[in-house]
Amino acid sequence: MASVIPRSQVDLVDFVDWRGVECLNQKSGHAIENALKQGYREDDGLHLESDADEQILIYIPFTQVVKLHSIVIKGPDEEGPRTVKLFTNKENMGFSNVNDYPPNDSIVMSQDDLKAKAINLKYVKFQNVRSLTIFIEDNQGGNDISKVQKIALYGTT
Amino acid sequence: MVLEATMICIDNSEWMRNGDYAPTRFQAQSDAVNLICGAKTQSNPENTVGLLTMAGKRVRVLVTPTSDLGKILACMHGLEIGGVLNLVSGVQIAQLALKHRQNKNQQQRIIVFVGSPTKHEKKLLEIIGKKLKKNSVALDVVEFGEFDDGNSEKLGALVAAVNNNGNSHIVNIPPGPSALSDALLTTPIFTGDGDGGSGFAAAAAAVAAGGTTGFDFGVDPNIDPELALALRVSMEEERARQEAAAKKAADDAAKQEKEMGQTSVTQDVTMSEPVVTSVMPAADDKKHDLTDDETALLRQALAMSMDDARPDSEAGADTDMSDVVAEDQDLSFG
Repeated sequence: MASVIPRSQVDLVDFVDWRGVECLNQKSGHAIENALKQGYREDDGLHLESDADEQILIYIPFTQVVKLHSIVIKGPDEEGPRTVKLFTNKENMGFSNVNDYPPNDSIVMSQDDLKAKAINLKYVKFQNVRSLTIFIEDNQGGNDISKVQKIALYGTT
Repeated sequence: MVLEATMICIDNSEWMRNGDYAPTRFQAQSDAVNLICGAKTQSNPENTVGLLTMAGKRVRVLVTPTSDLGKILACMHGLEIGGVLNLVSGVQIAQLALKHRQNKNQQQRIIVFVGSPTKHEKKLLEIIGKKLKKNSVALDVVEFGEFDDGNSEKLGALVAAVNNNGNSHIVNIPPGPSALSDALLTTPIFTGDGDGGSGFAAAAAAVAAGGTTGFDFGVDPNIDPELALALRVSMEEERARQEAAAKKAADDAAKQEKEMGQTSVTQDVTMSEPVVTSVMPAADDKKHDLTDDETALLRQALAMSMDDARPDSEAGADTDMSDVVAEDQDLSFG
């Protein structure tokens, strides 16, 4: 699944509507910005960490409609995410209704993928994306805490 | 000035007919709710507050989070008392109401009033608490009226499960001379997590206290911060001075014991005279620029601390100190 990102696909970090970004079950001091923002996400010391249990729910709205091509997730070997589900254009999602909708794409990450490899998504399913919800269901080691060092989204506008 | 959406869960069970909080538990609770609504909506113009009742036939949402204070207060009228408290449903429905708030930038908070026994298991409450924490909802519990049957323990466990960086609190308000709402004013529910809380709460607290009680030295720091600061500094200085003097006295006492070992003079004599002679030069060496006033004060303090050093007058230390404080206060007032 892992592949090189085509040149035509750009980093979508510039199109994220930061005021609307929301992350549930994040630990204070280890917030979503550490994994998503330019500069912070390049620093492996800064990471996003789960709080009450291993699940994390991230809601990322965009400033314009985008097409999503691939995603890069970087995390440590043990606490890095394993099952990741992606939903598009779902506002008001909570942990209670993650199973109410079929995910647009579901990824099971290998430890190899966690070394910042690009993962291609079902491109046809991410053609009209106003917002993206990333649900991290569990992690590699089955620990109580999940950690994410970097999330990068590639696509076109 | 936190941007918050708050759901307030009202206990309207049969226990609210009890008159131990004047005039009734329910009325006292209503006043407290009104006050909280006012404080929340005024601390930030974009804050919203909603209400629901937890007892009766079912949990009933009276108003979803809104910033319209009139709407909130209006729905408080004509509430019916009856049934038993359903804490778990109430909290869950409050969370649902918060989840669908309009402004996603708002932090979520639930304030629960509990004045009746909790029928749920501690375990269940902890699970609910974990769920709230996972959805980044803060929870404040106001416990009043019923403290028996492990009620406090259950609610404590609930808040402990939710608590994240001290954002959730539990307060116990026993029946007493002050109204429920007044007692709440000085709690973290009003004063917030860190910085002195909302101006409204501070102002309301000042009015409620009437400048008589509740503050150190009987001065409200919000009304006259300079005076309060001066008093506090004066208090600290005096404390430091007394500590220093006490330390010196202790050192001297140790020295004396040595001397006593060598020269077997009677105790009373050594207690009074050699101390003064031995200490004063030392103090002078350290601070040559001591004014006469200060020397006199120091001498006084020393004499005082020597009193303290005597084994039989240990209890006297506190009263001495308060006397001095009172003096200082008078000075500052004058």
